[in-house]
Amino acid sequence: MTPNRLPLLYGMPLLLFIASLLQSTVAVRLVVRGVKPDLVLIIVVIGSLVYGGKAGMLWAFLGGIGLDLFSGGPLGISSLGLMPAALVASLGHRVLSRYHLFVPLGASALGTLIYGLIYVGLVAFLREASQTPLFGGITLPIYQLPFWATLQDVIVPATVYNTTIVLFMTPLLNRVPEVQEI
Amino acid sequence: MIRNTERRPRTLGDIGVRFIIFTLAALLLMALQLTGQLQSLRSAISFFMAPAQLGTTGAARSVTDAIEFLLELSTLRQRVNELEEINAALLAENFSLREVERENGEMRSLFQFAQTRPGLELRGAQIIARVIGQESTNFLDYIEVDLGATHNIDVGMPVVTEQGLVGRISEVNNVTSKVLLITDPSSAVNAILQSSRLNGIIQGTPNGDLLMDFIPQGPVFNVGEVVLTSSMGVLFPKGIPIGQVIERRQRDIDIFQQAVVRPSIDFSSLELVAIVTNFDRQENEAEPVLQPTPDPAVTQGTLVVTPSITTVITTVTTPVTTTP
Repeated sequence: MTPNRLPLLYGMPLLLFIASLLQSTVAVRLVVRGVKPDLVLIIVVIGSLVYGGKAGMLWAFLGGIGLDLFSGGPLGISSLGLMPAALVASLGHRVLSRYHLFVPLGASALGTLIYGLIYVGLVAFLREASQTPLFGGITLPIYQLPFWATLQDVIVPATVYNTTIVLFMTPLLNRVPEVQEI
Repeated sequence: MIRNTERRPRTLGDIGVRFIIFTLAALLLMALQLTGQLQSLRSAISFFMAPAQLGTTGAARSVTDAIEFLLELSTLRQRVNELEEINAALLAENFSLREVERENGEMRSLFQFAQTRPGLELRGAQIIARVIGQESTNFLDYIEVDLGATHNIDVGMPVVTEQGLVGRISEVNNVTSKVLLITDPSSAVNAILQSSRLNGIIQGTPNGDLLMDFIPQGPVFNVGEVVLTSSMGVLFPKGIPIGQVIERRQRDIDIFQQAVVRPSIDFSSLELVAIVTNFDRQENEAEPVLQPTPDPAVTQGTLVVTPSITTVITTVTTPVTTTP
């Protein structure tokens, strides 16, 4: 690994942690149609686009942990949603050209959808699991997210919001030169 | 150019391997947290993070206030040019005082709230918890406050403001706690319509509104009615305002009616809340069950009261992380 990439590798977790903090404190003031921007998701998607899936996977894991530290949800659930989103976004690193406008927009839209659907799916799984004897003796918290209402009122608006933010970031993103996967 | 087609052995760097490892790590963390094994670690993290959260929240609030203030200022200047110089001198002082005054006002209101409800013990000087953070994801509705186990805060304690019900404590760390808001879809609160005395259950929805469900068919209620916590539940003290009915949903084929309720609290701008520490759940349980009764002002000519319909409302479990 070349030395100039080390700051990125170590700086990114710090950036993700700050983004998580801002997500729980500042993002609430940027709410549009009931949803706030997913700062961590946007950073992970852009990071995966620029630097590839291997680093993106690590950042998705750490970013998800950061998010869950400031959330009432179970620890790790955001990581499980963000990692597939990073995986999809990383396709834009080599398979597609990230300099094409639709690649970052598509990565952001797909990433948000995948993250949201996995989050809702895991919540539903936990809810079912809490009612089965599989976890006998252990009291699991019960979370509830009605699928269609969450899709309509949260996931779709968040997809539009995040994609719009990435659209405005595209000129900046295009200035970053092509780099090898780290 | 000779292309090297030799397959590289799988290493930790491979995306697939990383994916599996991190997935397993996330699942392990989730399992540990859900079973309460990470409670002390989370307490330690929240101890260090609370000041940062409080600082960032305060900074964000100040920036928002400053922007709003500057917007007001530009309008003001157009109107009163001759007072511009005096205004400029007072602005700086005013800006800092506004924050103090607003906080003072909220504390006074909370104090009045406590005085009108002597049955509820609101924790003295520290009683008023500062909201230090909001939920980080779009899916759930929680807030974090700066009181925790060291302040004798416990899971399940109701959280209120002078405007109404906020939610209840769902997770307690040493110096911070998480509050499950009533707008979260996992939340369920036994409620009563103030005028028509109809009981139901208030549930959160993903769009931030509240839905009052399980209202018996038959009796009529009106848009605009105030919704209060009822004595049927054991989770919250009765008589705390929840919101106001903005839409009535009634279909003959349904067993129950529904009401869309607008919360009495603007949850996005919550800054101070009060935690009810001595709420005796037995006290609520001992209360007689309120039956639907006609309200002539509400039901002129169209009221059909069916006293035989008694909704049996069971307490719906809401997310609670218990300390082992």
